[in-house]
Amino acid sequence: MNYVPGTASLIDDIDKKHLVLLRDGRTLIGYLRSIDQFANLVFHQTVERIHVGKKFGDIPRGIFIVRGENVVLLGEMDVDKPCDTILQQVSIEEILEEQRLQQQAKQETEKVKMQVLKDRGLSIPKADNLDEY
Amino acid sequence: MFRFQSLDDDCTLEEEDDGPIEEEDEIDQFNDDTFGAGAIDDDWQEEHKRLAELDERDGLGAGLGLGGGEMGGESNFRGGDLSSSTSLPPSSGQLPRPSLSFSSSSSGLPTQDADDQSGGSNLVESLARFILDADPAIAGVGAAERPIPPPGSAGPGLSALPGPDQHRVLPQPSSIPQKHQPQHQLPLGAPTSGLPPSSMLSYQQQQHLLRRGTAAVGQMNSHSIWENSMGFGPVSVTPGLVTHMENSPLMSIIKEVGLPKRPPQGRSDEGHDLSERVPPPRSSSPVIGSPPVRAVPIGTPPKHPMSLNHQIHHPTAVHVRAPVQHRYPAPFPERLSPNTLLNIANSPLCRGPFPPRVGPVLSQLQRAQLLNSQVAGFPRGGPLLAGGGFRPFFGGPPPPHGHRMGPPPPHGPLNHAPPVRHNTTHLHPQHRRMLTQRMQSRGGDRVRTGLDCRSRDPYSNLMSQKEKEWVTKIQMMQLQSTDPYLDDYYYQNYYEKMEKRQERERDSSSSKKEHTTKLITPQVAKVEHTYRPVQFAGSLGKLTVSSVNNPRKMIDAVVTTRSDDEEKREKQVWNKRRQILYTVEKMYSLLLEVQDFEKRFVQTPEEEREALLEQHKTNTEQLCSSLQEKDWEDRLDGWMDGWIWVDEWVVVEGFSASTAVISFLSHRVSDELCVMIMSVRKGKRLVARLLPFLPAAQAAAVVMVIARNLPALAKKDKQDQVLCCLVDPVSAVIQSLSSSALTDLLQELQGSEGQLTTVLQNKVNRRRQLVSQSVNT
Repeated sequence: MNYVPGTASLIDDIDKKHLVLLRDGRTLIGYLRSIDQFANLVFHQTVERIHVGKKFGDIPRGIFIVRGENVVLLGEMDVDKPCDTILQQVSIEEILEEQRLQQQAKQETEKVKMQVLKDRGLSIPKADNLDEY
Repeated sequence: MFRFQSLDDDCTLEEEDDGPIEEEDEIDQFNDDTFGAGAIDDDWQEEHKRLAELDERDGLGAGLGLGGGEMGGESNFRGGDLSSSTSLPPSSGQLPRPSLSFSSSSSGLPTQDADDQSGGSNLVESLARFILDADPAIAGVGAAERPIPPPGSAGPGLSALPGPDQHRVLPQPSSIPQKHQPQHQLPLGAPTSGLPPSSMLSYQQQQHLLRRGTAAVGQMNSHSIWENSMGFGPVSVTPGLVTHMENSPLMSIIKEVGLPKRPPQGRSDEGHDLSERVPPPRSSSPVIGSPPVRAVPIGTPPKHPMSLNHQIHHPTAVHVRAPVQHRYPAPFPERLSPNTLLNIANSPLCRGPFPPRVGPVLSQLQRAQLLNSQVAGFPRGGPLLAGGGFRPFFGGPPPPHGHRMGPPPPHGPLNHAPPVRHNTTHLHPQHRRMLTQRMQSRGGDRVRTGLDCRSRDPYSNLMSQKEKEWVTKIQMMQLQSTDPYLDDYYYQNYYEKMEKRQERERDSSSSKKEHTTKLITPQVAKVEHTYRPVQFAGSLGKLTVSSVNNPRKMIDAVVTTRSDDEEKREKQVWNKRRQILYTVEKMYSLLLEVQDFEKRFVQTPEEEREALLEQHKTNTEQLCSSLQEKDWEDRLDGWMDGWIWVDEWVVVEGFSASTAVISFLSHRVSDELCVMIMSVRKGKRLVARLLPFLPAAQAAAVVMVIARNLPALAKKDKQDQVLCCLVDPVSAVIQSLSSSALTDLLQELQGSEGQLTTVLQNKVNRRRQLVSQSVNT
């Protein structure tokens, strides 16, 4: 609303802490430093936050430049609000381990499902989240 | 503690020195203040001489040595380096007025020999007090090694002192922290012989020595350095004298000054070489345990106020006032503890003409620096950061930080988030306080604290104003439209509604006008941008660069725009001509059929001759009618069949048949058709060939038409020149014309306009001649 009233602009979000969800499922938290007309974002002091269940872990990443087309959503974070009311922060190793386990479990269930469907004669092609080429 | 001591020292010095100080050149308060007690001028030589004389008389150098040792233990910080280097452990920190004793003892000095004896008892009293505070170790040592009173020791009073005083020394513990190694035992066994008892020294000299001693004895403490002391004889003191003398600053002075040269030889056989413990007078103070070595010797006066701090704390000078563009915090002010600051204050360097009587008085600069440290927690002002872009905050400070970290280790880990120094050290403290207050008040707002946080953020404002405007401009460009109501209908309507609502509210509430910010999208007129390819003068062709806005032109199609009327007319003309040509062709074919009838008639068998005749007839009919009616096309087709028949019938039965047909038809020959046909070259030939086949009436009519339209025909015939072929058949027809018809013909001919060519004129003339001939006949 600073420059262009009545429109949505990222100009006012600069230098604030944001959370951004990317198309590949990653969650980044960092200070938004710069934007451009394509909504390419420059994040500073970025932290990749992995959530597994009620736990989360932060991996510091430094400076991130995100291409605008890969952003799903972006929102400002309240720095004052505590982030660990329900969620519990764990170490990086632990959260990575948890994530791996989660992925594994998911894959196994998927495999079982496919097998069951195959037995019944149905084959549902696996949906690819990424772009189809 | 040291402070207290130093204060005491100072105080004592000042108190005592007030009187004689002006008189004595050597004892220079200012000098001492400026250069420190450690700085020794050349007076020591004189003093040495004096002492040497004294020493001859008095063998109580040991006592002095003890006192000197004590003095050394007391002070540590003072620029004078008061740490004792003697082997004698320092005595208590409490310094009961040694000067008193000295004053009394000074009576023992050669100048005041008379008073010596009387003051001796007093001295005993005072010294006893000293001994009470003496270090038990010293006392013990003193007790253990009772120095052999050197021969010829002066001051029987003094010499008698050791006895009663020593045991008093024992119980009293020392409170002075021993700086040097306690290994150094009091070599009371080796009393200094050369050193005259303090009583022998003059008052002034005592003071001088005292002061000097406070500086020098400090040096004495670092045993290692002063191992190889030179220049002075070892301090040999009697144990008793040592014990009580060690409390006295005078001892330190004496120690420092050293004993006359004589004692060294004498002392050596005593087993103790106290010469090691005598510090040579030095102008600089590279003593372990004292503040770090300064790059600049103590003696140099500070060039500018800053340097004193540097000298004290930094070996390499880092300017407190950093250059503006660096925005680094000042190297150390906030690192200073109050103690160190006060040390700075009390250091002899910063003591100006007004000695710090009252207490640790901070100079202007120090006050400013203190305040600066208070400001340290404050956010940076915006303008400081606004200087365009990103300052690598953490890249810069490490070097000065490194310096900072060095000297004051106890000050804890560095805080890396100190804001920039405002370079306000030169500000009046009041001013500074106002500034900080103002900043505090400004930072009270929640939003402002947010802004503050951002302004405190060293990485903020990476995106400059220009860049923000640029992005906004691009976004605005995307909003441009020629018809906002078409492109952005819902937005426009929504905002209109909102404005109306606001107006209603505003009117109801107050008359105050508030203009809400509304986005005004730029309305761009639709301009057709045609690409004009770049053309260079004199070049062949156009230089065309095809782009999105200017695609390559593949076909050079020209659109000709015509109005409908023109098109119709043109079409009509063409249609007509085509029709005429068509008609002519058809007729020609008919004619040919007719003309070929005879041949065919002969060839065909008998039975079919009638059919042929019938066909002939129809053909002829068609031919005739083609000249007459508009819708001759249809008729012509019909005629084709009957023509042959008609022809044969004509041949066989003469003209009767054909005339019958024609009379049957007896239609008026249309002028237009004839003219149209005649306009075509082929048409003319057709008519010429057709004429003989036409019935008489028809033929006459055709001739009449020709005569009527002769000029036009003649005009058209300019190119073709085929009218001549018409002459013969026309003449033939004319000949067969009736008189009335002839008359008409003549009239026609005369009636025609006289625009005839010579050829035509000839023709006409010939026709006329013919006509006239026929008329005549």
